[in-house]
Amino acid sequence: MDRAFRALIERTFGDDLTGPVRQRHDETEMRIRPGDVPQVMRTLHDDPRLRFEYLGDLAGVDTGTDFQVVYHLWSVVTPDWLRVVADGIPRDQPRIPSITFLWKGAEWMEREAYDMFGLVFEGNRDLRRIYLPDEFVSFPLRKDFHLPDDASRSPGGGVRPMEDAATPADAAETTVRRTAKAR
Amino acid sequence: MALTERGARNPDLPVSAATADDALVEAIVVPNVLWRPEDPAAYGGGALEDDPRLEMRHYDESGEGRRDDARWGGLDIVPTKADYVLDLIRMNSLWPLLSGLACCAIEMMSTATSRHDIDRWGMFPFRASPRQADVLIVAGTLTTKMAEPLVRLWAEMPEPKWCVAMGDCTCSGGRYKRSYSTVQGIDRVLPVDVYVPGCPPRPEGLIYGMMKLQQLVKERRGHWPERAIGPTVPDQV
Amino acid sequence: MTTPTRPSLDDPSLTIPVEHAGIFEPIPLARTERQREFYDLRDGEMLLNMGPQHPSTHGVLRVVLKISGEQVVDLDPVLGYLHRGVEKIAENSDFHHIISQLDPLEYVASLFCEWSPVMSFEKLLDVQVPRRAEYIRVLTGELNRIASHMLFLGWYALDLGGITPILWSFAERDEIVEMLAAITGAKLLFNYFRIGGVNGDLNHEFMSRLGDWMSRAGAQLEAGMGLLNENEIFVRRARGLGVLDRETALRMCATGPNLRASGVPFDIRRAHPYSVYPELEFEIPTRREGDSLARYLLRMDEVRQSLRIIDQCLHQMPDGPVMARLPRLLRPRPGRAYSAVEGPRGQYSCYAISDGTDQPFRLRIHDPSFLHLQLVGLLMPGNLIADTMAIMASLDPVMGGVDK
Repeated sequence: MDRAFRALIERTFGDDLTGPVRQRHDETEMRIRPGDVPQVMRTLHDDPRLRFEYLGDLAGVDTGTDFQVVYHLWSVVTPDWLRVVADGIPRDQPRIPSITFLWKGAEWMEREAYDMFGLVFEGNRDLRRIYLPDEFVSFPLRKDFHLPDDASRSPGGGVRPMEDAATPADAAETTVRRTAKAR
Repeated sequence: MALTERGARNPDLPVSAATADDALVEAIVVPNVLWRPEDPAAYGGGALEDDPRLEMRHYDESGEGRRDDARWGGLDIVPTKADYVLDLIRMNSLWPLLSGLACCAIEMMSTATSRHDIDRWGMFPFRASPRQADVLIVAGTLTTKMAEPLVRLWAEMPEPKWCVAMGDCTCSGGRYKRSYSTVQGIDRVLPVDVYVPGCPPRPEGLIYGMMKLQQLVKERRGHWPERAIGPTVPDQV
Repeated sequence: MTTPTRPSLDDPSLTIPVEHAGIFEPIPLARTERQREFYDLRDGEMLLNMGPQHPSTHGVLRVVLKISGEQVVDLDPVLGYLHRGVEKIAENSDFHHIISQLDPLEYVASLFCEWSPVMSFEKLLDVQVPRRAEYIRVLTGELNRIASHMLFLGWYALDLGGITPILWSFAERDEIVEMLAAITGAKLLFNYFRIGGVNGDLNHEFMSRLGDWMSRAGAQLEAGMGLLNENEIFVRRARGLGVLDRETALRMCATGPNLRASGVPFDIRRAHPYSVYPELEFEIPTRREGDSLARYLLRMDEVRQSLRIIDQCLHQMPDGPVMARLPRLLRPRPGRAYSAVEGPRGQYSCYAISDGTDQPFRLRIHDPSFLHLQLVGLLMPGNLIADTMAIMASLDPVMGGVDK
């Protein structure tokens, strides 16, 4: 937990942050708007005080109400992992700028997020499905895609891909069951 | 007419329509009449019959695989010593196809290498080309994307050929029973001769399965005419 | 009498129309820019399909090669033939159960597949792992690393055509996993780490096998490595092939030995230490050439360092419990945790989100082999088809992790 680093992030990004910088164990988390992703990433990568040249992970998250894209970065400057959360991507328009201009290796991670969630990364030259067959239409990791209890009851019978698995009769009305806020 | 003695004693077992007349072929495989899904709309309500990707369903009906071109005996009814020798030859040099899909492939490779050496039974050459292989050991999870290539591999293998389902994922879907993209057991797409359960099965387990297959080959049970796609429960294993 | 002319194979009216070809589409619809660029064939170029069943692709990987003669011009890897939906299954399982589900991801190094999620859950639950458990984790992890690197050696040689090294590697690997089977109960998918520790203490059989193996491990491993180190064919085929420079390696998010062979001394065990690695003395091998031979030699150096670590673990092993006391029903506070470990292939990390229930809200597994397959697209063009395997094998991908 690097307090000085938190102050550095708050100084550098100021207005771009949509929430407080949180620290827990060895991680520092900052939240930004999806539209700000390219310039924030470029600052993180190029600024000599920050030097986040190592992209650890690019993940998509479905919070039930909207989407998030979460980046994990590492730098020689601080012992913490930096987590950048691009929050509030609407469900009906899941678009976010791509960071393939900085890290070409993010191309496939963005393809995976597209495949699993339907997140469209603008600027990714190769945005197509990577894991599932091309004729699959659903996005499996979304919260409204339910795994059936028994493979035989699905439309594919376990042989064809399980598309649009029917919501089981005993599913709750809300897609996400929460006892406390996950934010 | 019941197919097996146990079937004769048990009146509750449903009876198959086709009965085998020749004494040579004692069908030890009960055709898939024991289990039907409860929901008539399941499995696409029968839409699977028309799926072009499952071409094997019509292959069995055509009877192409039932002719044994290598037999030396004149008539198909009476086996001769030469046929017995033929079965011995086949049984002792079963060449597997390299079709390791996932973790079970590592255990299959471990079976093939020095410590548990299946070269003792003639199975060392893992052929890369299906044209040269006898037995398809499906080792690893079969996903729906891979199902088409695997069925094509099976179709490209020349007869006589046998199929071994290695690992829980190929026997029944295993730990991926609820997954949206795995085939719940390869017997939904291929006719399986030997099931080797385990996650992954120990090399000793796979060797036991292969020896069982050798026994089936020798007794001409592995190339049975009743071989069909679908869960099968042999009576005397 | 005129002989009937045989139809020419180049006659366009004889090609199979796509609707009859069914599932087999030679050239799929190009949906993206990159696909259009790839499927635009120039004069003399042709497409060659490798896989998904192929003796050398380390699993089910399909690579569509665009070749001009014998030289590869471009390639398009197609993944997903082993996608099992583990992340979705994880959202439907509870925290204890999910550990065993994550083993088959990187099946040759499955202890690392368990280690990073277990660390994430321990962060979510604020659990302190006993020191003896940490030492056992490091000990078994390093044994698994040696087994994995020896398999890499065997597969690399097998892809280049040598059969002997894989037999030796598997003999080595079988000895190590029999040791691990003595404590974990399994040979491949160990299911040994638990949240808060490990599943069982070291027992007599494990220690006797380990002691016996350690006494000859050094010489045995050196002999195995010597098969290839001094083999002129291997060295000449691997040297200078698939050079990955420092900047490209960082931009492509390469990790682990592939990154270190390109000159970046980044190892999570030293850069972002976890477990008891700060107390252990070992070096981070780094090489600057970035070619396939450097990647191979680096992994062999890592095997030597792992032996050093195992030795220190055995000497410094503390007493105590091997498992923290935790309730059966785990309900962590809502929050997020990320942890990364250094696996044999690179950074293996897990991002876990909890929403207060006993099932994870989201479990994201990041696997290194996934990104290393992108490197394949960068390093192969310009080389011969025969060299594609040398490059792919030197990057050491495991398709279970790639496809999740």
